[in-house]
Amino acid sequence: MYLKKSKRVGASSPLNGIGKQDWDSRRKRKMGEISQALGVTPVDVAALRRMAISEGGLLTDEMRCRVWPKLLNMNTDNLPDKPAADLRENHKDYHQVLLDVRRSLRRFPPGMPDDQREGLQEELTDIILHVLDRNPQLHYYQGYHDIVVTFLLVLGERLATVLVEKLSTHHLRDFMDPTMDNTKHILNYLMPIIERVNPEVHDFMQQAEVGTIFALSWLITWFGHVLSDFRHVVRLYDFFLACHPLMPIYFAAVIVLHREEEVLDCECDMASVHHLLSQIPQDLPYETLISRAGDLFVQFPPSELAREAAQQNSQQTAASTFKDFELASAQQKPDSVLRRRRKERAETQAQAQAQAQAQAQAMVVARPRAKRLIRLAVMGLTVALGAAALAVVNTALEWAPKLDLQFFP
Amino acid sequence: MESSLELTTSLPGTYPPLLRSRIFKIIVIGDSGVGKTCLTYRFCAGKFPDKTEATIGVDFREKVIEINGEKIKVQLWDTAGQERFRKSMVQHYYRNVHAVVFVYDVTNAASFRSLPAWIEECRQHSLGQEVPRILVGNKCDLQHALQVGTELAQKFADSHSMPLFETSAKNPDDNDHVEAIFMTVAHKLKSQKPLMLSQPPGGGGAPPLGKSEEEEEGGWSCNC
Repeated sequence: MYLKKSKRVGASSPLNGIGKQDWDSRRKRKMGEISQALGVTPVDVAALRRMAISEGGLLTDEMRCRVWPKLLNMNTDNLPDKPAADLRENHKDYHQVLLDVRRSLRRFPPGMPDDQREGLQEELTDIILHVLDRNPQLHYYQGYHDIVVTFLLVLGERLATVLVEKLSTHHLRDFMDPTMDNTKHILNYLMPIIERVNPEVHDFMQQAEVGTIFALSWLITWFGHVLSDFRHVVRLYDFFLACHPLMPIYFAAVIVLHREEEVLDCECDMASVHHLLSQIPQDLPYETLISRAGDLFVQFPPSELAREAAQQNSQQTAASTFKDFELASAQQKPDSVLRRRRKERAETQAQAQAQAQAQAQAMVVARPRAKRLIRLAVMGLTVALGAAALAVVNTALEWAPKLDLQFFP
Repeated sequence: MESSLELTTSLPGTYPPLLRSRIFKIIVIGDSGVGKTCLTYRFCAGKFPDKTEATIGVDFREKVIEINGEKIKVQLWDTAGQERFRKSMVQHYYRNVHAVVFVYDVTNAASFRSLPAWIEECRQHSLGQEVPRILVGNKCDLQHALQVGTELAQKFADSHSMPLFETSAKNPDDNDHVEAIFMTVAHKLKSQKPLMLSQPPGGGGAPPLGKSEEEEEGGWSCNC
C-alpha cells in the first residue's frame, strides 16, 4: 500500500544519512541555484519558492535570512530601528506574553547560556508587543510566541520584527482575530482531507469523536510548539512560507495519515485517539511528508474542500448549522480593495488554478470512498505549487481561507 | 459512542463484568499560569515537571488508581488558560465530564477574581449541579508572595458548595497532597456511582450521576 511504501522511502532519504555523497553534491548544486535566483534582478521568487519546497528546503539559516523575506515579497534594505521598550507594560496582552515567553525555555537550543537565553527572551517579548502595538486589529494567542521565537533565532531581532509583522497580517491573520472562530474553520479542513485519502481512518476518528483540537497547536504554531528538533521546525517553515496559508492543515492531515495503522489500532474513543495523535513522533520522514502534503494540496485544493469544511460543525451540532452557513457565506465577501485586486489578477489566478485543477483531475480517478492519493512528479509538484503560491500571494494570503469559496461558488 | 469513554474494552457488550474498568473524566480549568499543567503532571507522573510551557488547546493525562480493590482510570483534561481558547475550542471537552477542578494561584489575586467567570463557563456548558467541583489554590510554597488568604478562599468555596484545597504542585512535601486531592475526587465519584452503567446516548451535557444518596464515607471530608 502506498503509505507503507513511502515510509520506507522516507527512511532511505538522503537526508537521513544514506547516499550522503550524492546528497552532498545535490546540496551544493542547490546552494548554487538559490544564490543564482537571489542574484538576478528582479529576484526569481518563483525559483526560490521551488527551492524552499523541494528536498532539504533552504538548507542553511544564512540562506533563510536572505530567502524568507523574498518569499514574503519584502524589501529589507531599510530595517526600522530596534523597537522602543517603553510600549511594553501598557499593552493589554503584556502579562500573557510575558507569562508565555518566560515558560518558553524549550524553544531555545539546549546548552545556551542562561544570560544569552534571557536576552533573547527579552527580544522575543519586544517583537511580539511591537507587532501587536502597531496592529491593534491583531490579537495575541498562546502559541504565537512559538512562531516568533523561530524567526528570532534564525533572523535576529530586527529582521524577525519586520517579517513577523508581515506574516501576522497574512499567513497568521486568521489566528489573530478577536475570537478563534476562523482558526476553528481552518481546522475543519482536516477531516475532509483525511476522508479523501483514507475513509477508514476518517470514519474511525469520527466515531471516536476525537475532534480536531489535537492539531490546534500544530496549526497555530506551524508545528513549532510540538517538534523538539529546531532543524525540523525551520525546514517546515521554508515549506509553509513558500505555500498557501492553508498548507499547515494539509501537513497535519499527512501526519495523521502517516500514522494510520496506529490510529486504527487505537481504542475508538476520544481520549485514546486524542492522546495518540497529540503525541507527535519526533522521527517523522519530513521530506516525504512535505512532498505528500504538496500532492494533497494539488489534488484536493482548498476550493474543493471549502464546502465540506464549512459543514463540519453541522455534523456535530445540528443547532449550529445555520450559523456556520452564515459564517461561511459572510466569508465569501471580500472588501472592496480585494475585489479590485482580484479583478486585476483574476486572469493569472484562473490560469494557475485551472492548471492545478486540470493536473489534479487528470490524475485522479474519481472513486468516492476509495483510497486515492496520487503521487505527482516532484518537479511537477513544486512548479505547480510555486505557481499557485505566486498567483495567490497578494490575495489569498490576505483573506484565506475565504478566497476559495469565492472562486468556486 | 457516548458510553465508550466508560469502558476500556473496545467491544462494549462482550466483556465479562469483572474486567471492565471505570473511567473518571475530570476537567481542570482556571487562568493562564496558575499551574494546571503542573498539578495534573504531578498527579499522573508523581513529580513536578522540569519545564512546562503554555498549554495550547487541551492536553490529556491519565493515571490508573485503585480504590477498594477496583482499578479506575482517572483522565485529566488540562486546558489552555487564555480566554480566547475557552469559547470555541475547549467546549468539546466539557462533554461527559464527571468532575471539575477549578484552579487559582494563591500568589495571584486576579486568578482568584476570575473564578466566577470560570464557574459561569461551566454553567454555560450545562454541567449539572450534581457534577462534583473542587477548588484548588496552587503555589502554596510561595508564602511570602501570598495574595489570596485561606479565609477569603474558604468563604468563596463555601458559597459555591465546593471543598477548598490549598497546595503546591512544586513542593515535594506536598506530593502526597496533590495525590490526595485527586484521590478525594475519585472517591467521591466512586461513591456517587456505585455502578456506572452505560449512559444515555446523544446527550450533549454531562451524564446524570448516581441517583443514590451520597455516602458520607466517600463525601468531601478531607484531613488535609
